[in-house]
Amino acid sequence: MKKYQLGEFEEVVMLTVGILYENAYGVSIKKEIETRLNRKVSVGALQSALKRLEDKEYLRSHDSDATPERAGRPKRFYKITALGKKAMQYTKETRNAMWDSIPDVALDVKFVTN
Amino acid sequence: MKGNTSIAPPKLPLKFFRWFCNPEFTEDIEGDLLERFEKRKEKGVAAKWFFTMEVLKLFRPGIIRSFNGIKRLNNYGMFKNHLKTSIRSLRKNALFSFINIVGLAISMSVGILMILFLTEVFSYDDFHIKKDRIYRVTTHAKQPGRELHFATSSFYIGNELNEQVSSVEKLLVLREDLYADLKINEKAISITGFYSTASFFDVLSFKLLKGNPNTALASPGGIVLAESVSKKLFGNDDPLGQFVTVEDNDDFQKGIITGIVEDPPINSHLQFEALVSMKTFETSPKKYRRQAKYNKALISDYHVYLLLKENAEIAEIESLMVEMMAETNSKWPQASLTHFLQPMETFVTDGDSYVREPGPSFSQRLIYIMIGLTTIVLLSACFNYTNLSLARALRRSKEIGIRKVTGASRSQVFSQFMVEAVLLALFALVISIGLFYLIRPGFLNLPNPSAKGYQMFSLNIGYKQLSYFFLFAIGIAGIAGFLPALILSKLKARVAFGDASNIRLIQGVSFRRILVILQFALSISLIMCAVLVHKQYQFALNYDLGFATENIIHIDLEGDNLDLLEHEYAQLPEVIQTSRSSKILGVAKADAGIMISEDRSDTIQVMLNKIDGDYLEMHEFKILAGSGFRTALREDERIRQIIVNEELLKSLKLGSPEEVIGKKVWFKSSDYKDISLAIVGVVKDFTSHSLTEESSKSFAFIQLPMNQGKRTSKERFLGRKSKILGIKIRSNDLLTTIEKLENIYREIDPIHPFNARFYDDEIAETYKNYKASYTIISFLAFLATSISTMGLLGMVIFSTESRMKEISIRKVFGAGIQNLMLLLSRSFLVMIFLAGLIAIPIAHHIINNTLLSNFLYQAKFTVIDTLSGLLFVFFIGLITIGLQVRRVALHNPSDILRDE
Repeated sequence: MKKYQLGEFEEVVMLTVGILYENAYGVSIKKEIETRLNRKVSVGALQSALKRLEDKEYLRSHDSDATPERAGRPKRFYKITALGKKAMQYTKETRNAMWDSIPDVALDVKFVTN
Repeated sequence: MKGNTSIAPPKLPLKFFRWFCNPEFTEDIEGDLLERFEKRKEKGVAAKWFFTMEVLKLFRPGIIRSFNGIKRLNNYGMFKNHLKTSIRSLRKNALFSFINIVGLAISMSVGILMILFLTEVFSYDDFHIKKDRIYRVTTHAKQPGRELHFATSSFYIGNELNEQVSSVEKLLVLREDLYADLKINEKAISITGFYSTASFFDVLSFKLLKGNPNTALASPGGIVLAESVSKKLFGNDDPLGQFVTVEDNDDFQKGIITGIVEDPPINSHLQFEALVSMKTFETSPKKYRRQAKYNKALISDYHVYLLLKENAEIAEIESLMVEMMAETNSKWPQASLTHFLQPMETFVTDGDSYVREPGPSFSQRLIYIMIGLTTIVLLSACFNYTNLSLARALRRSKEIGIRKVTGASRSQVFSQFMVEAVLLALFALVISIGLFYLIRPGFLNLPNPSAKGYQMFSLNIGYKQLSYFFLFAIGIAGIAGFLPALILSKLKARVAFGDASNIRLIQGVSFRRILVILQFALSISLIMCAVLVHKQYQFALNYDLGFATENIIHIDLEGDNLDLLEHEYAQLPEVIQTSRSSKILGVAKADAGIMISEDRSDTIQVMLNKIDGDYLEMHEFKILAGSGFRTALREDERIRQIIVNEELLKSLKLGSPEEVIGKKVWFKSSDYKDISLAIVGVVKDFTSHSLTEESSKSFAFIQLPMNQGKRTSKERFLGRKSKILGIKIRSNDLLTTIEKLENIYREIDPIHPFNARFYDDEIAETYKNYKASYTIISFLAFLATSISTMGLLGMVIFSTESRMKEISIRKVFGAGIQNLMLLLSRSFLVMIFLAGLIAIPIAHHIINNTLLSNFLYQAKFTVIDTLSGLLFVFFIGLITIGLQVRRVALHNPSDILRDE
């Protein structure tokens, strides 16, 4: 079932892009993930994840006009594509289905630690 | 921007980021980085540090740009294109490429020679398996007034080391004065070689084909023969265990063949025909031979080799040897001996340092000189290539421009020029291998006294060497082609399309000018040396010695049946006359004797030859008065007669030739003690020695004793000749005649080698050093001339190409072609004359003081001979300049000026 492949970090990135909607670019995505999930994200990891998602066509990007606070560099904004949305949904559904299939007993901590 | 612009993001990480980042992402990621940097700056955290860390964390596969190589993984097409355009451009400028290739080839042939030479020098003794553990004991002898390093040491020290030092695994002692005639069943052969202790085959890796390596040299009289010698003596019979009679040797009369060893390879520092057990000395009738091994001070006869254990400490052993010799040295402090250890790998390459080397060796200094000279030659050839390519490139700037405009990257233009250089170098390699075969014999014949008469080098080309050559050619292409490729690939398209003369390619024109003058001075002096040495060589060969030497063959007489041999030879129809003598005249220095006038008032030194009755007639000496001898001296006869030359009459003031016949003189020599002889004949003056030898001009002939003079093995070991048979022949087929002579000789004397040579060849042999130096100097002259011509060509092309516009304008204003040619070539011709002015006096000095200083009779050199170098170079230069300048002068000015 390699139909929609989405790694954990990739999923987080996709979700953040969705949350930020019109304002999803490198710095903002990083900040959002860091505040929401309380974890460190390196620029390198984020950027390569973004490139990877673009290659899979889950994200689409466009350059904004140059902004003065970035020394004339453009911002690259990301948007979720239709395929990206499907992939997110698919991931969410498979997860839910799997959650539902877990018997209650299995989550009883006592048994696990015996 | 705002107030804190003073802090900019760190430059180096930013540069690094831009370098590695995929160009597609660079812009926006850089934007992110800068934004975060600014924010951090405002917050006052270590912004620079974080920036750097972030850049480093970005260095990961998804972000890094793809490598060029990966993009051009399939660069076969590009390479094919480079190759094709290179071949086209080489062909388009055929003359230019030809000059470039030949120029490079000539210098590369020297490089090839050097590669072969070095691989052979350093492969010496490589076949010994235990090579790194083999050392020899050398001796430093300090005597009053001189210090000598001997490659030898005493048997005593070897024994002491073997007994007392635990890190010595094996001891091998050799003694090199082995010579003997071995006889078996009427067959006999004379050999030279070494006396050796039993450990020979343990220490060294010579291949014993038959016999037991442990016992072959263990008992007195044991003889191990080299394969080729054994074949001669025994044919296909099994030689093992055969008893042989030993003649011409003081130490033993009977020997037994205990082994057959493969002939020593050419790269062995030990060369021998036979090995005899050192134990033989113990049964020698001579007491000093028996006791030589106990003598601490006898350090010049024994070669002592040690096979050391892996962990042996050299310095420790050396200090032990000092202790061992302390007692002896304190007894004779004026002649102290110190022993050292020398590793096997330097036996041959450290040839200058030691006396009494057992075999061929080579001077280390000479190796360095040769490497240095080769490097200079190669570098100046590379320099010329660079020069010439750059000059030529002025024409190709448009090609480069188009390449750049159509999207060639700098590295592609660079590789295009490198491919061209490599192609050229490979062509040059092929030619240079051909050239190498031309100079090979000259190099092999170079006099090298430390080779001890052995052929040290074969200079053969194998697969290994071919691969070295290939690498060498690539290397040369790299050095020569790098600069033009670098400069030309840097060219901007805009400049390339513009006026070629605006391109500033090379600076330092005056430096190049001086270089070219020096190159020319070198060629002029070398050509001059070659011409004059050749002239002197021819002069020496054709020098009228005052007697006939044509069609005379000399044979060394060694056997017992000399009369029979001469008689048999005289029967041959081709033989006109035969005669015997003790010396060959006109070749080297003759023997000397002392002549005293009858009243003992005058004493002079005379040169001497012992001859038989036919000698004077056969060699057409002019007899002024009296007659020659009737025959050689019979055994029952006493010596009474002498024949002298005019010079001797003058020196002893004896009067005119006619008066002097019958007069008595006193005579002394190594054979005769003060005897009175009567002058029976006077011959016209002649030259009795080689033209390089200083010698008394007074000469005397005495009678040759009939059956004395058989050459012993010892004399052969020392290279002496004492009796020679001259045969005057008249034949159309010399080869068959010599074959006949050889067959008769073999029948009568099967033991000794048949050694025949023509008188004229022997005279030529005397001057072979001059022939060798002539060959080498000519080659060097050729080399220097071609290199300097290339240098000149580069300069001329460069200066004419960059003056195209000036020339065109001059033409428009009506300058004639001759006018222009004069204008353009004047400065170069002045350069050649300057070179001549420097070269001729220097060359003259070198010729008179070094090259030909040995000749006592010099050929007359004309003005043309002296100016030969200058004229030749001038001529070549004129052609080089003329062709280039003419091409430019004939150019249509409108082609060049129309762009303006």
